[in-house]
Amino acid sequence: MSMTDNDLKPEEFGQAAAEAIADAQPREFREAAQVLANAGLCGVCAAEDAGGLGLGIEFALPIVAEAGRLRLQWPLLETILIAKALGDSPLAAQLARGERVATLALQGSLAEGFAGHARHAAQSDWVLVADGHGGGALLDRRTVELQSDEAMDPEFPQAWLTLDKAEVLATLDAAAFAALQRDSRILIAGLVNGAAEGALLTTAEYMSTRVQFGRPLSAKQAVRHLLARMRLLQEASNAGAQRLLAKDEYGRTRATGPVLANALGNAAFVLEKSIHLHGGMGFTWEVPLHYALREVRKFDAAFGAGALAQQSGRDFIESV
Amino acid sequence: MHMQKNPAIPDAAAGPAVYREYARQWLGANLPAHMRSDSLDYRTPTLDECRDWEASMYQAGLAGMTWPKAYGGLGLTLREHLVVNKEIGALPMPESVSSIGKELAGPIIQTVGTEEQKQQFLPAILAMRNYWCQGFSEPDAGSDLARLRTKATQEGDSWRINGQKIWTSGAAKAHYCLLLTRTGTVADKHRGLLMFAVPMDTPGIRVVPIKSIDGKDSFAEVFFDNVVVPDSARLGAPDEGWNAAIRVLSIERATNRMYRAWRFECELRQLIAACKSDPVLATLLDDGYYQRRIGEVVGEIDALKGLVERTVNQMVAGDRIGARGSLTKLYWSECHQAFMGLAQSIVSQVTPRSSALARRARKHFTTAYLYARAETIYAGTSEVQLDIIAQRIMNLPKDL
Repeated sequence: MSMTDNDLKPEEFGQAAAEAIADAQPREFREAAQVLANAGLCGVCAAEDAGGLGLGIEFALPIVAEAGRLRLQWPLLETILIAKALGDSPLAAQLARGERVATLALQGSLAEGFAGHARHAAQSDWVLVADGHGGGALLDRRTVELQSDEAMDPEFPQAWLTLDKAEVLATLDAAAFAALQRDSRILIAGLVNGAAEGALLTTAEYMSTRVQFGRPLSAKQAVRHLLARMRLLQEASNAGAQRLLAKDEYGRTRATGPVLANALGNAAFVLEKSIHLHGGMGFTWEVPLHYALREVRKFDAAFGAGALAQQSGRDFIESV
Repeated sequence: MHMQKNPAIPDAAAGPAVYREYARQWLGANLPAHMRSDSLDYRTPTLDECRDWEASMYQAGLAGMTWPKAYGGLGLTLREHLVVNKEIGALPMPESVSSIGKELAGPIIQTVGTEEQKQQFLPAILAMRNYWCQGFSEPDAGSDLARLRTKATQEGDSWRINGQKIWTSGAAKAHYCLLLTRTGTVADKHRGLLMFAVPMDTPGIRVVPIKSIDGKDSFAEVFFDNVVVPDSARLGAPDEGWNAAIRVLSIERATNRMYRAWRFECELRQLIAACKSDPVLATLLDDGYYQRRIGEVVGEIDALKGLVERTVNQMVAGDRIGARGSLTKLYWSECHQAFMGLAQSIVSQVTPRSSALARRARKHFTTAYLYARAETIYAGTSEVQLDIIAQRIMNLPKDL
């Protein structure tokens, strides 16, 4: 790559990512891996020695936002994070090249022998779980017993994982795993906000062209104000997530919990209202907004459906 | 007029970290305990005390950051302004008694005022030698200023003004009114609007206080009965002053009282400290409902900080903010209203047997809850902001 890091702009990665994601979207899972990897997305934050671009998480944020906006059903966010966390390991190189795909279990641990909320686990090669002692363990998915969780999303279910016979391929120490968890919260906030942005664009376009009572629905104040409120929340989530990329005035990292909790709540609001504004059509399988809503609800469940905000409250109370 | 630079004020070239530390040290050392709303020594400061406090902040280099040096400012950027505002927000100090002068009249005068007007008004605003009120709203022209009726008629080198303003904050104490009038008729709608700097002691001006929801005489009706002002009181040509005001308002909507998010965080700390000081209120902090609500407030404050910082970055980069200020205004006002609702529900459990800090918090947050009703009304109602977002940011069509 001829450019220096200083020449690169994260937002430009979003534009490039959109093309690759749109290309990967209709393809079979493994083909999609190749497309995404060839575009440099899987290894965007992976070490250069592992064939990655070695860029910071700020470059992954617009990529996962596009994945959310385009409703990509593929564990890009997880693969980016795990490839970064594995450093210069050959395993990271395999992820960056698209030869392997990894996912992340957001609940449970190896010590418990049980984990859950892993997206696309059935198709993935590896799954990263907490080891129960502060660190993380990358497991060979074939040695993990999967139980599909189809309640929220029968088409793209998450999985529960029984880990009694799991083979550990690599481990992350506590510092590396904590860094991955922090990065994951920033990227999940970006992804769900991207999903909200995509739904809002679709909905605003539909409201601008759907004529009822002789005028587009967007002429109705109730509709205009609701769309404006949706835009406000989406912008607020975006501003909150962007802020996490920089340290505070005193060089401390900023708390991710409040921002992610806010982003999850705002995204759910925008998606639910987007479905509502599509009327009967919004209630159908054909209008794809439900995929995004399911995705947001799966993440919300993984973080305890409100537990994140409660923990943020507890943390703030303790800080006083 | 250059401000005589206080030697303690750090040079901007020293960087924001130095300025931040200086601002923090100075504010911490100089803010009187009786002006801190979280202090047991608190009492409502008098107008003169507020004036002296703000004047001392100016002398210390903590006001007029972005105003030109030629008119008493420091000639710094919004970055330094933001740095100082974060520190101002972090302390529970009184709101400015001259925000109309500093945030509205001053920027408008800088844009359309004559050199003489700039020299006359701008240093006096910063030094707190005069306060301003805003004469825009009328009984029939609240959000819709096209219905404005207050009339200005030119008579040689002077103007005769007749009409009535309402919801004029601080009119009773103001030295000048930033007055919006029309030169034609109501049929002209937004055309022919003319702005003046009118001394409030001009014969024919009558101020009638209005008691507000918090029990204070916060605002007033102001009657203009054959008020005659010289042409030198005019701010810009017809339309020019108002057009400048629209631009200033859109920027101010995004940048005024930039400290809000940090002040909200300060208020949240005050609320929790009061709860911790009292055994009954402390149990609320163990309640999952309140923990979650507090966490939600923290998330909203973080997002608001993000919106403010993004605005500053964009403006420093030379971008126009335009309608985007409406996002910030709508977000802070609605989030803060909800926060004050939560605070009020918590402090409503305070009794005469509660801790002194809890009783102080009850007084503060009950008033703040009531005062917060105004936040979604002033500076453009929430409905006006939603219209702006729909129209100018989202470009939603009203017709095919």
